[in-house]
This record gives sequence, C-alpha cells and structure tokens, in this order.
Amino acid sequence: MNEFAFRSALTGPQLAALALIPPAILALYFLKLKRQPLEVPSTYLWHKAIEDLHVNSLWQRLRQSLLLFLQLLIAALALLAAWNPTWLSHELRGERYVFLIDNSASMSAADLEPSRLEWSKQTAAQLIEQMRPGAAAMIVSFSNTARVEQQFTTNRNELLNRVAAIRPTSRPTNLREALLLAAGLANPGRTSTDAGDVQVADALPAEMFIFSDGHLPAVEGFSLGNLEPTFITTGSAAAKNVAISAFSVRRPERRASEIEVFARLHNHGLETAEASVELRLDGELIDASRMTIEPGESDGIVFPLTEMETGVLELRADSRDDLVADDRAWVAVNPPQPARVLLVTPGNDPLEYALTTGRANERAEVTLEPPPFLAGERYQAIANSDAYDLVIFDRCRPETMPRANTLFIGTTPVGGQWQQLESADVPVIIDTNSAHPLMNLIALGDVDIVEARPLEVPSGGQVLVESQAGPLVAIAPREGFEDAVIAFPLVDAEQVYTNWPLRLSFPVFVLNVLDYLGHSEDALEQGFVRPGQSLALRLSGAGEEIRVRDPGGDEVRVSRGNLGAFNFAATDQLGVYEIMADDISMGSFAVNLFDADESAIRLAEDPKLKIGFIDVAGQAAPQVARREIWWYLLLAALGVALVEWYIYNRRVYL
Amino acid sequence: MSQTTEEPLLSPELLARLERLEFVSRKIFRGKFKGERRSKRKGQSVEFADFRNYVVGDDLRFIDWNTYARLDRLFLKLFLEEEDLHFYCLVDTSRSMEFGEPTKLHFARQLAAALGFVGLIRADRVRIEPLGPDKPPSAPMLRGRSSLWRMLDYLNSFEAGEAQPLAASVKQFCLRNPGQGIVVLVSDLLDRGGYEEALRYLLARRMDVYVVQVLAQEEFDPELAGDLRLVDCEDQDVAEVTISAPLLKKYKQTLAAFLASVREFCHARGMVHLVANNQTPVDQLILSYLRQRGLVR
Repeated sequence: MNEFAFRSALTGPQLAALALIPPAILALYFLKLKRQPLEVPSTYLWHKAIEDLHVNSLWQRLRQSLLLFLQLLIAALALLAAWNPTWLSHELRGERYVFLIDNSASMSAADLEPSRLEWSKQTAAQLIEQMRPGAAAMIVSFSNTARVEQQFTTNRNELLNRVAAIRPTSRPTNLREALLLAAGLANPGRTSTDAGDVQVADALPAEMFIFSDGHLPAVEGFSLGNLEPTFITTGSAAAKNVAISAFSVRRPERRASEIEVFARLHNHGLETAEASVELRLDGELIDASRMTIEPGESDGIVFPLTEMETGVLELRADSRDDLVADDRAWVAVNPPQPARVLLVTPGNDPLEYALTTGRANERAEVTLEPPPFLAGERYQAIANSDAYDLVIFDRCRPETMPRANTLFIGTTPVGGQWQQLESADVPVIIDTNSAHPLMNLIALGDVDIVEARPLEVPSGGQVLVESQAGPLVAIAPREGFEDAVIAFPLVDAEQVYTNWPLRLSFPVFVLNVLDYLGHSEDALEQGFVRPGQSLALRLSGAGEEIRVRDPGGDEVRVSRGNLGAFNFAATDQLGVYEIMADDISMGSFAVNLFDADESAIRLAEDPKLKIGFIDVAGQAAPQVARREIWWYLLLAALGVALVEWYIYNRRVYL
Repeated sequence: MSQTTEEPLLSPELLARLERLEFVSRKIFRGKFKGERRSKRKGQSVEFADFRNYVVGDDLRFIDWNTYARLDRLFLKLFLEEEDLHFYCLVDTSRSMEFGEPTKLHFARQLAAALGFVGLIRADRVRIEPLGPDKPPSAPMLRGRSSLWRMLDYLNSFEAGEAQPLAASVKQFCLRNPGQGIVVLVSDLLDRGGYEEALRYLLARRMDVYVVQVLAQEEFDPELAGDLRLVDCEDQDVAEVTISAPLLKKYKQTLAAFLASVREFCHARGMVHLVANNQTPVDQLILSYLRQRGLVR
C-alpha cells in the first residue's frame, strides 16, 4: 500500500531551471577555485607527498573537492525537496470513487478546527490526492437534498476545486437522495442478460466515502449494490451545544393586552451549561436572562411584553458552544391580515352570528351576498380573480368554481368529483379527524343531526367527520385550493337540521375555517419556516411580482405562480426574510433551525449508518494521509550546509 | 629579522653549565698550537708515553740517562704532545632557515654559540661560518675565553638571505679551511640539490662531522587547511595542494623517510646525525643529545 511519488507543484520548465543549479555550482567552483598562496620553507617534501598521492587514485581527487561535493549535495537535497517527494501510505487503488459530503446544519459545528465541514473537505481532498492517476471521482454534497458538485471526472484539480467550493447549509440531513445519485452509475436500473437484450450501461462499481457526523435517519429500502461504502465520521463525542428548540409569541387568554414570548433551550452536551439569553426587538435589547441547563434537559423561559404591533423578535442564547446556528432564533410579528370572506347564503343566522364574533371580526372581513349573485357577471369577475380568500356557499352552488378556498354547506362543489348519497335520517357521528386543523379543539359528541346526505369524497380528500351512514364533513384539494363540504344544511326556512350551532364547538369550527381556509393568521401566531422549506406566499394586494430580501441582504424576485401564490424556496439561510411588493413591505417571515437532530451534534459512541439492511460502521478518519518529506530534505540540506561550514572553517580532514 | 625580540644567544645559566664541557674528538688531529688535548704526536709535555731506541739525529735532551746508566744502552724517552683542536661550526643561512618560532636560524646561532663557547674555554680554535652567501665575510678564527663576545657579535651578524646551494657553500668552506678537526653542520638540509654532495666534501677532508638537522615545529606537523598554493621561499617553486588527511599523512611519511635517509647516509659514513626541533631548548640539545652522541663530555 505504501508508495513513493513526486508531486511537485512546479512545472517542467521550472524544474529544468532548477536542475541547472548543480552544473552552475560546478562551473563556479572551477572558475572561482583560487588557492590561497602560502610561503613555506620548502616545497621539496610537499612535492614528494603530492606525487605519491597522485599515483593513488581518482578517489583522492574526489576527496580534494570535498567542499564542492557537499555543496552539490546541498543543491541536490534542495532540488529533491522542490520536487516534493511524497510518501503515500494509503493510496486509493480503485477506479471510481464517490464522495458524499454532508453539509447540513450540524456540520457547521466548530468542535473540529475550523469546522466539521472544513475538516471533511480537507480529508476528502487528501483522499482525492491519493487517487491513482486515471481514477475517476464524483462529488456530492447533501443535506436534506443532494447536489452533484462534480460529475465523474479524472481531473484531480477540478475535483479539489469543487470540494473546496462546498458551502455549509442550515438544512436537516437525509442521505437517501445522495445515495440515489451515487448509485446512478454503479447500479444501472436494467442489465442485459440475454443476447437479444438491448445493450445497457455496464455496472460501474465505485467506492463511496460518506463524510457525515452521523445524525442521519436510516435509509430504508435502499440497496447499495456495487457501491462500497466507507463512513468517515467527523466531530467529537464531547461536543457542547445549547440549542434554542422553540421560540414563539402568544397572547395569554386572560390578559389580552399583553403578549408572552416563550423560548425553550435544550442542552445537548454532556456537562451542565450556562447560557445567557437576550431578547431583542428589531435589534434592540429589551430583556435578558441567564439559564442553567442540565445535560440532556430542556428549560423554558417566558418574557412578558406589553403590546407590540409589528417587528422582529430575536432571541440569542450565548453559551460558548460548538454550533452557532441554533443559538439565534427569530419571530416575525406581522400586521394582521384579515381573511376576505364571501358568504353566499339565502339567510343563515347561526353562521352569520358566528362570523361576527369579536375573534372572527379580527380575522375576517365578511361580505354577504344572496344566491342570485352567483348568476351575475360580478361573480364571474370575482371567481376569476383572487379577490377573496374564502367563499362559503350555503345551500347554493356556483356554475364555475372560484379561485379561492370554499366551504359548501348542504351542497357539493360542481365538477362531478363530489357526490352525495341518499338522505339518511339521524346519522350518528362516530368519529372526528381531530388531527386536521379544521377540527382542532372540536368535540361533536353533543351534536345531533336530523337528516344528512352522506358524501362521496374525491380521491385525495380527507374525511373530517364520519357517521354511521357515511362521511358528513370532508375536505379535498382542487388545483391548489381546498374545498370543504358539510353534508347537511344548518338551518332552513322550514326547519332546523342540527343543534350544532347551539354548541360551543360551532364558533370554534368557524374560527378554524377562517384560519385554515381563509389563511387568516393572527398577527402573533406566525408559523415558523424550516431552512430549505419552500413557501407558497398568498398575498392579497400584491402585484404580479414580489421581492424577497433574505437575511444576507440579497433580493430575489418572485413571480406569481399559476395558482395565485408566490412560491419561494430559497430559504437556506437562517434569519428574517422580508417580503416587498412595489417597495412596500408586505411583512416578513423567519427561518429557524429548531431541529433537535441537527442540534444534537455530539458524536455517538459507535456511529453507524443504516443503509437498507447494511450497517456501515463509522471510521474516525482515513488511515493515513500522504506524508510530504520535503521538510526533512530541507533539514538535511541545512545539516549538510552546517557540516560544510564546519569543514570549511575548522580543520577536518577526510 | 627578529633579532631584537629574540632572547640572547647564551644565557648565564647555560654558560655556567657549558663551562664543564669539552669537545671529544673521535679522531686525533694535528693541531697548530700547543693545546690542552693530547696529540698523536709525541712531544714535549709532562705526560710520559713510551721509550724507543736512540737513532742518530734524535734530540739528545730526550735521552733517558738513568736507563743508560743501568743498561748501558741509549733509550729515548717519549712524551705525549698536548695540542689544540680545530672546531668548525657551519650555520646554514638560507631563507628557509627563517621559518619557525623561534626561527631555525636563531636556533642554529644559539647552538653555534654554545658549542663555540665550549671550544673557547678549552683553548680550541673555533671558527663559525655562515653557509649560503656567495662571498662570505672572512670568518675569524677565535681562541680563548676572551673571544666570546667577538664570537657572539659575529653570530648576531648572520642574516638569512639569497643562498647558493648547500654543496657549493660547503665546497668553498673546505677549500678555505684545509685543516682537520671537528665540524658541526647546522642546517635543515632542505636543499633541492641534495645534501649528500655537501656531506661528501666534509668527509673528504677527513673531518669529524656532526650534522644537526634543524626543523621547525611547523615542518614536523604542518597546521594547514584548505586549498593552498605553497610557494617555496627560496626558489619560488609552487606546489598546489588541497589539504586532506591522507595528504598530511603522506607528508609526514615523506618527512620521516627523508630524515631516515639522511641518518642512514651519515651513519654509513661515520658521521653523527641529529634531528633537532626548534622548540627544543639548546642546553638540552647539548647537554643531553650531543653528549650522548659523543661530541662533548
């Protein structure tokens, strides 16, 4: 495995110029050789001695030029050092390599100098240096997505450049996509086995180096095939990290005039950590505290604040740990954006009451129209624009579906996807899908229904309320919007169909409808965004184009998509993104890490990857990197120079 | 060259120790004047040597009349003659003698002065000559203790300079000084023309020859380093060397071989050879080494 190679950074002409030095020394030696004259009593004996010596051999002459030879030796050593002889203790013997380099958030940890990612890049570069000439390699960086930094190439410089160009991200980790990319050439989808088969690509086995800190979910159902994996772990088992695991703003139910800022810190290290916590509003310090967190434990902290309208709250937790990405978190508090709701009804008092509660008024601006409105031209105009976020059809149906979310009460959306079954008397509610946001905090145990026509839910839809006769409330997607259907009318001119409007769950349901289908968000209840997550920004009042300014100050132009939303995916950076339309701020959103897997940077005792049915044990580092010995050569040259000086100045004879 | 800084040639202590010494000649030479040493000749002295039969013409004063009275035959009483000795000291003054600390020349002068003093106090005839100058100043023949200061002055006038080959200088000396005696040659013998010819001239005069080869410490153990262009101070000859351990080793081997060849040459011809390091004190050289070699006692 050991091999010796010259890896000079100098080009041929430069080396040739260096090679001229020894002849130059020889020439100078003979040109300069000037014997010091010295008067002696008699040269008689000397002549005899010299004659005797001359008879001897060539070696005597060589010995006379000892200093010359020492100088030549120095030059030779220096030349050799310039040639950069390198002892390669672990040369990679294979033909093809794949380097998978993790650049997720946890790889930014600084427990290795300068960071885990940099260390991985250096190690990968060393491995690339050790590749046999002619061997090809491919570079893939991965976080939750994978990116081919360099396709298979034998160009070593290109590979090194591409490795050096890998940048850290703040994303979570998932190996699957990277493995799929790596396996592309190693495991072709089909192989030709019969003579008649069309020739397909031959499998090209490759050795695969995975650089990661091991916080990877197992990759199920993946076969490595011709890939030979080596898992090189980075990071230390003693890494310290105190992470902000939650940061939110809420309004206490009892004291509506105040808001509370809530933060939770988790200590992922092995030692008790102290963290100083700072809360800043728009960059100005407004509160601070100090927390002591036991290892493996979480601790929460609440900052009470008086009312605030808008702004960016930032939390900083400084505990001198190894990962800084999770030491800051942001919440963007936007001005309230009430949902624009169109209610088309022949008259529905319970619903109208529910839409005019104080909470509902905060969240929605409701426009009331009678069913004949649907036949008019104004409806057509509204249906084709995004003037409303939510349209509620109470016992009526439009001819064309609006470009908005809808709620149908007692009828179904047009288009034939939805069907209603035969009428069922007194259906008994047997289940509610409480996981769906529409059914949040809703219990229907005390609701009685006189008569309903159970639903046939289109594919992709979800049943929210199930009765023994069939689904009573359901929701299904439609071209980027969602349609919710209640299978029974609430009231009629003649009769009341249900006692639900009398129950507490009804106004709550209406609020859920406004929140979920109307996209109304309380100013304080801003959801957070994960790094790398794509957003569909629904902005009423914006034109066809918005600009998003990321935390780094760069602006990205986003055009309105087909479905009316602005799709924005460049959320790689942590921090606050500001949305601008025609130089008017439309609010902002924050991207926070909040990922326990990425924050838990401590390396496991025996890190391993589970890929399919194979466990790949982690290695600390490739056995040995190359060792350059020019350093020793230069030392030897220096030593010879000292010897030469000594011989020249002292009386040392050979 | 650096005489002002050099120590005096003879210190009082050294003089005191030299007082007790005298030259020993392995050969007995005919002296010119009556001296303090025995002569081969029988002559007039108080020391009885032998008897021989009288032949006509003998000096009647030496007939032993007591024997004639007892034996009625004429015998001649022979006495040992006491004579003086010729002592020559040849000091090499070529440029190469200027090296070393103290210089080899200074060392040679010291040695010559000490030996000359020994000769002076024993009433020998002492002549010290510089070897090298083309036309050397006529060297005074010195005798007696009173000549000590003249000798020292004369020695102090020696200066290293352009020199003719060693052999030519010695030949000139031999031509000028026909007498026999002890000759001490103080030189480094580093002459491109070789030392053998010079020594043969001295031998031909049947002199009692002592060769004191003076070398500087730097020549025994050169402290050199680097790439050098060695220039011979006498003839500007150049040797390009890069100092290395094998070269130094080779140099020392060459030096040892050279000294060994000189010693062998001398011993084979009855000469005494002595290698002197310029760091060796002169008194030690004389009182120890030269005494062992039999020059003095």
